[in-house]
Amino acid sequence: MRVHHTSPSNTVVLRLPMWRSRLVLFIMFIGFLALLSRAFWIQGPGNDFYAQKGKRVERVIALPSVRGKILDRNGEILATSLEAKTIIAYPDTIPDDLPVAKVSAFAKLLKMNESELRKKLTDSKNQLYLRRQVEPEVAAKIKALAIPGIVITSEYRRYYPEGEAMAHIVGFTNIQDKGQDGMELSNDEFLSGKDGQKHVVIDRLGRVVDNLGDIQPPRNGKDLQLSVDSKIQSISYEAIKKAVKDNRAKSGSAIVLDSYTGEVLAMANYPSYDPNNRSSMTGDQLRNRVLTDTFEPGSTMKPITVAISLEKGLIKPTTQFPIGHLQIGKKVITDTHSYSVLSVSQIIQKSSNIGTTRIALQMEPEDMWTMFQSVGFGQAPKIGFEGAVAGTVKPYAKWGKLDQATMSFGYGISTSLFQLAKAYTIFARDGELVPISMLKVDKPPVGTRILNPRTAIDMRNMLELVTQEGGTAIKAQVSGYRVGGKTGTAHKSMGKAGYASNKYDGFFVGIAPISNPRIVVAVVIDEPTAGSHYGGDVAAPVFSSITGTALRTLGVPPDAGMKELVQTLDPSLTQKVALKR
Amino acid sequence: MNRSVVILILALMACSLMLVYSQQRSRMLYAEKNRLEVQENKLNQEWSRLEYEQRELSKSSRIVDIATKQLHMKEAKQDKTIYVKEMAK
Repeated sequence: MRVHHTSPSNTVVLRLPMWRSRLVLFIMFIGFLALLSRAFWIQGPGNDFYAQKGKRVERVIALPSVRGKILDRNGEILATSLEAKTIIAYPDTIPDDLPVAKVSAFAKLLKMNESELRKKLTDSKNQLYLRRQVEPEVAAKIKALAIPGIVITSEYRRYYPEGEAMAHIVGFTNIQDKGQDGMELSNDEFLSGKDGQKHVVIDRLGRVVDNLGDIQPPRNGKDLQLSVDSKIQSISYEAIKKAVKDNRAKSGSAIVLDSYTGEVLAMANYPSYDPNNRSSMTGDQLRNRVLTDTFEPGSTMKPITVAISLEKGLIKPTTQFPIGHLQIGKKVITDTHSYSVLSVSQIIQKSSNIGTTRIALQMEPEDMWTMFQSVGFGQAPKIGFEGAVAGTVKPYAKWGKLDQATMSFGYGISTSLFQLAKAYTIFARDGELVPISMLKVDKPPVGTRILNPRTAIDMRNMLELVTQEGGTAIKAQVSGYRVGGKTGTAHKSMGKAGYASNKYDGFFVGIAPISNPRIVVAVVIDEPTAGSHYGGDVAAPVFSSITGTALRTLGVPPDAGMKELVQTLDPSLTQKVALKR
Repeated sequence: MNRSVVILILALMACSLMLVYSQQRSRMLYAEKNRLEVQENKLNQEWSRLEYEQRELSKSSRIVDIATKQLHMKEAKQDKTIYVKEMAK
């Protein structure tokens, strides 16, 4: 063998052929190409799958807002929103082999029938609201059952601690937290909040680790402070409730106004309802009768009539009127007792229809009409309350002589109890009429002058006579305070059918204390059937109990000495006082 | 030349590590903030609930009821009340 042959063959053995390295290079290139296209695929058209995976760690968290509270004038809670839980089921994720014990326990907590629950869970495919507004304690027990596919979320439920006593003022909300009645409805926008949300990343343990921007913070509703005093309201409601039951009446209402500030301190109606449990409500219970019901005010109108005449200088409190017999057209005006002569003060004290008519017939119809308008009769009060009615006052051009006569003692004209109480503030405030507010007033409002102070003072003295010996409302007296007011007993109007002979409304509208008036209280008892139907018997005692408590609550010093005090409500106590002397 | 490259590389590494650390820290703090917000919410709720409970217990109709029925108390009538007036100086 020649070396020449051996040496090249040696080199060939050591050197690899060129194609092999090319092949490796090519394979690596293909590999990189595969990686590159894969990367391109993932980044581009095929990224949905990964985006889905990524979404599992992103969450949109709702940030619930809270509806504002409703507070009374002293900051006591009248309506508040508390957390309540909602139980939601995702039926497709609930295992079919759920233990029977668990299902029955679950049904019990939901206050549901077990078979009904099973049916609900098998029938539905989509998300299902099993129960809303569940108490947190019950929700905790449901959570402890650890049933897959059952989710508990939070929302708010409205609570009303004063219950039926305050129901007509505060109103209530529906399950969507929207106001449906009362102040909840008329101030819905002010009270409502706005829910927010945030977009976050959570880690494997469910903790929020990062924020993906776009946070919308929740805006909570504002708190609303009313003018109502919950103590006076509570007393008023109890007094009205008792009076309606004692007199076997259809309904009853009372309103208390602060004549300094024009604030409504209480507004109570019976029957009422519990806003916390509205399953048994009917329309009749829902009405805030103080504002929504009108009636003919009867004799409570007489002081207004007399005031116009005093103001015009036609009469003085001491002016004497012959009473006798009075007939207008075919209609005979009657009184419950017959009198020969009465002074103006006595006409008010004894509530004489004939006397009032004689005073009214000296006046121009226009003057009476102007007065009715200026104190707010025939106009819906602007008090921010849905359903407040206007009542009716016929235009004076259409009045006949008989219309003028009957209107002077409160027939042929209709008002709400609210309007009547408001009208009496002119006597309490030395002749000024103030705007009435359901919301707390910061500074005393500016009044409109309707009467001279002299007229208002004369009227107050006459109104006080009504509650004294010889008046129609001795039962209106309040121990320790001088009070005044006017009774009313009106046959109920049956529309076109005329007046019901045996159906009455009994009223009392009063002012206290007379020496320096602070409150106006109006009471109506609708269709009393247990004995007396006179305003002085059915409504005046309610006035007395409400006024006594209200004045003490407001810290008004008494203006009556012991000697002027006549105890009529508690005879045993009167005796004791008498024995001591 | 070489030396400055080494320094820059070291600085870059340090910065990267700091970035990782601060990212981690920011997540921890965010989680903490979130936890505290949830807690604040819960405490607010608790406060509202207690406030409501207090109101429920202190409302005047309940007080009157207990005072008259259980404790047999009576309202102080005027003959048993002494009104105190502030003396004018």
